[in-house]
Amino acid sequence: MKGAFLLCARQELLLAVRSRWTQIFAFVFAGLSLAVSASGYALSGGHGIQDFARTSASLVQLVLLLVPLSALLIGVLSLAPERGAAELLFSQPLGRPVILLGQVAGLWAALTAAQAIGFGAAGVVVFSNAGGEGLAGFLVLFAGSSVLTAVFLGIAALLSAGAVGRRRARALALALVVWFIAVVLFDVAALGLASLLRSGTASRVLIVSVLVNPVGALRTGALLALQGTTAFGSASLAFLRFTKGTVGAGLLLGGSLLLWTVVPLALATRRLSRADI
Amino acid sequence: MTRLRLLVAASLLAAAPAFGGTDMAPVQPGQLEGRPAAGESSPLQALVDRAAPGATVEVGPGRYVGDLFLDKPIRLVGRGRPLLVGAGSGSVVRVRGPHVTVEGFDIDGRGGGDLGRDSSGVHVSAPAAAVRGCRIVRCLFGVYLREAPGTVVEDCEITGIPGKDPGEKGSGLHVWNTDGFAFRRNTVVDVRDGFYIQSSSHGEIRGNVARDLRYGIHYMFSDDNVFEDNVFENGAAGGALMYSKRIRFRRNQFLRNRGFASVGLLFKTCDRVVAEANLLADNARGLFIEDSYDNVFRGNVVAASDVALVVYAGCGRNRFEGNSFVANLTPLTLVGRTTDTSFDGNYWSDNPEPDLDGDGRSDRPYRLSSVFDHFRGNLLAADLFSQSFAASAIGAAEETFPVLQEITAVDHAPLARAPALPDVPRRAPRRSAAHGPAVAGSAGILVAGTALLALGRRLPAS
Repeated sequence: MKGAFLLCARQELLLAVRSRWTQIFAFVFAGLSLAVSASGYALSGGHGIQDFARTSASLVQLVLLLVPLSALLIGVLSLAPERGAAELLFSQPLGRPVILLGQVAGLWAALTAAQAIGFGAAGVVVFSNAGGEGLAGFLVLFAGSSVLTAVFLGIAALLSAGAVGRRRARALALALVVWFIAVVLFDVAALGLASLLRSGTASRVLIVSVLVNPVGALRTGALLALQGTTAFGSASLAFLRFTKGTVGAGLLLGGSLLLWTVVPLALATRRLSRADI
Repeated sequence: MTRLRLLVAASLLAAAPAFGGTDMAPVQPGQLEGRPAAGESSPLQALVDRAAPGATVEVGPGRYVGDLFLDKPIRLVGRGRPLLVGAGSGSVVRVRGPHVTVEGFDIDGRGGGDLGRDSSGVHVSAPAAAVRGCRIVRCLFGVYLREAPGTVVEDCEITGIPGKDPGEKGSGLHVWNTDGFAFRRNTVVDVRDGFYIQSSSHGEIRGNVARDLRYGIHYMFSDDNVFEDNVFENGAAGGALMYSKRIRFRRNQFLRNRGFASVGLLFKTCDRVVAEANLLADNARGLFIEDSYDNVFRGNVVAASDVALVVYAGCGRNRFEGNSFVANLTPLTLVGRTTDTSFDGNYWSDNPEPDLDGDGRSDRPYRLSSVFDHFRGNLLAADLFSQSFAASAIGAAEETFPVLQEITAVDHAPLARAPALPDVPRRAPRRSAAHGPAVAGSAGILVAGTALLALGRRLPAS
């Protein structure tokens, strides 16, 4: 069983690494994070105002934008079964959940490796210019980025489970819709809802919406880890009071991301087991 | 030898109660500290009392324990940095006569005294005093001017009492009810407020540094003051101007006021103030203005703040012109719906509009506030979304479909190029620590990622 899982993971890792999509993503992500970290200095006039915090805040934006998109697209493209290959694969004497989880693990490893190139390059530029301050926040961001990859791979698995043939295209379109909702629409809706409510309730709605949305959870957690309470001014304190301190905030944010990883994957395995391939 | 003689004189003093009529009665809060009690008197007291009015008294190196009372014109000069150690119950040097000069001393208050009695390193309650080149440590107040017109404090270094809350400390240089004073080239660290000026006009404050405290400079009910070329760093507010009129200030720096709700420069109920060529950099909020009218901000730089300007609705006829707003996360938070503050003719580094006709102004007006900025001004937790794509999306939607609301804060003639910027001073380098491991760790991540991708290509497909 374990052997089969690793075999599937290895196979998927090999396919992902050789895929043009992964290579393009690695290249684009590395290029953009290098540009962000290098221009952080050019824009501040080389005087190093807020060296690390400002630069890494831009890295957070990059992660929030690109990582969900790449995980969803590459996930659906790899996981939605192609007719011939899928028939062969799923006719093997293995449980479908094992195959799926193995594939997701392999994809996750490939995408995390691709992100590591961008993070490593950016880190070398930032730290050699600004000193070693903020290493912990930087590592939190890297870890968060790989967790976000897992979250959206899980959602991609759910979208593409049993999406054979024509339904592949539909899964891809759905992936884009999910990305747009998670990255932009959800927050806009939360802000809109909050504007209709009384101030105290509105604040609670906003804080809960930040915890519920995986993109919002990573943004909040990463910026708090990188910049401390200056990240959102007094709103940080409101948030920390709601979560009863930094430990509570870490648990809630981490729990939200964990649920978002586990639940879609569980649903995906269930759906795949029942699918007719 | 001299010290022995002084000690003898001091004991004689103790035996002669005629010298200090008021010394035995405890001083009530708010009252003036008088001549120190005999046991708390400085050994220099007899020397000073014997000197003729207007004389110069030189004091050699040494440690003199006890408080000193100066009630006539005298020039007290320390040679070789003598140390005056207070008795620990009140002000160390009490100036009660006019034209007193205190120069070249180290003064240690031993953390004693009482805020209600204004216990200070040097407490001046007489006109035309001068305090020069003194180092004052462990005093509640550094130098306190109470009805001391014409007093000058120059080249002093004041360090507060370590480990106390700001509320338990006094100000570095404190002025009350004094018309005309001058502070030049002083350094104030770790006190409540660096310069606190209450009900005092016609002061000038030049070339000082105040850092690691609550407010760098704090005016209350003090009109017609000037401050120039000072640095205010790392406080709850660099400057707080309250209930005052016609203050003029130029070329000051308000830096790195980064704490919770910190502000570079705060205005509350201040009118007809003129601010020119100041630098406000790396503050949580650059400039905060509330309930203030007819103020002019010209040629200042506000850089690297989370919010450059916070303007409350109770403000009117204020004018910003020729300022540079550089690399701020948000240019303006407007609390309330409208403002008649004029923002015309400034440079905004995030203004995307080009200047095609080359007249030095962008071709279209620059909008300072978006719906989201309005929103965050009125709802605390909205800041959690300040760096989200939703906020940018709302801003973009508003630009494209201007039906959402009438935007009230607009620069009608934004500068297309930044005026010459003053140099932002570097923070003292803290980069020696852990520089290597961080770079090595990043390089490790880079290598690991590349290796996995490269290895994956080489591996045979099982």
